[in-house]
Amino acid sequence: MSSAALTEPKDEPDIGKLGMWVFLASEVLFFGGLFLAYLYGRTHWPQGWSTASRHTDVVLGTVNTALLLTSSAVVALAVACEEDATQRRWTARLLALTAALGTAFLVVKGFEWHAEWDEHLVPGPSFALDVPGAQEFFVLYFVMTGLHGVHMIAGIAVLAVLARGRSRRREWAGARQIEVAALYWHFVDIVWIFLYPLLYLVQRHG
Amino acid sequence: MVDRRRFSHTALTLGLAWIALLLLMLASLGSSYLNLGPWNAVSGLVIATLKAAIVAWLFMRLRESGPLIRLVAIAGLGLWSIQIGLSSVDYATRAVTPAAIQSPQQLPPLQAASRPH
Repeated sequence: MSSAALTEPKDEPDIGKLGMWVFLASEVLFFGGLFLAYLYGRTHWPQGWSTASRHTDVVLGTVNTALLLTSSAVVALAVACEEDATQRRWTARLLALTAALGTAFLVVKGFEWHAEWDEHLVPGPSFALDVPGAQEFFVLYFVMTGLHGVHMIAGIAVLAVLARGRSRRREWAGARQIEVAALYWHFVDIVWIFLYPLLYLVQRHG
Repeated sequence: MVDRRRFSHTALTLGLAWIALLLLMLASLGSSYLNLGPWNAVSGLVIATLKAAIVAWLFMRLRESGPLIRLVAIAGLGLWSIQIGLSSVDYATRAVTPAAIQSPQQLPPLQAASRPH
């Protein structure tokens, strides 16, 4: 092998992108523990799980799912625009739109949490449902949606900063940075894709 | 011109993926209102997996990624499968606080084995 081949590899991976993928793999395990706890609960208290799940707000949950899926498509389009010289004027606007959709998601979630507080669905002495396992379901519901919400806040902040930086043509808000931030956003979307059927749709019939 | 056509193609792919994701979401919602027994959980998870695959393949560009990035993506899932698999071996075979999925015949030998001698 020549020395040129050693110093200038042809297909050098984008380190930023690779780093984000490694981080996301660790995030899979971070959320994975909670999904495992969920699996334990659902197989041990199926009745409690289906009763409790029926008390979540399926309309708001579905609206939020649609918001997040749309935001993922929008940020993917932002990345595509940034890579095409004739479409770059749209990048900052699409990033801002993604952050706005994310914020709308959190506002809806806030209303949902507030309603659940009022309905005594927050685990504790005055918990409303008298079915074994229902309280455990809501512990996981709040921990999982809360942790997801924290990830959303981080993502919204990053996208908003990048949108502003991109509109001012800052060097740190280029195609590579935008693509890495988009990867993170898509991951947060994927976590919700699984939370949606597991929390809202356990058993809606009957 | 070639660039422009490439962008239109990408934008179209993203648009179609978005529509597919919303349709799958509605399918998932609809299926939960049908009484499918244990298949309710299966349909919910299969649809979610399909949606996640669309996001990973097209939005996260695993389709265009090199082997290294694909390997890292698979590694995360692989490690998680080990976590779920090994833990389930424990939780699904306990005599104390058995899971609802365990058959009644499975319990007496386990309880006998865990009784102090």
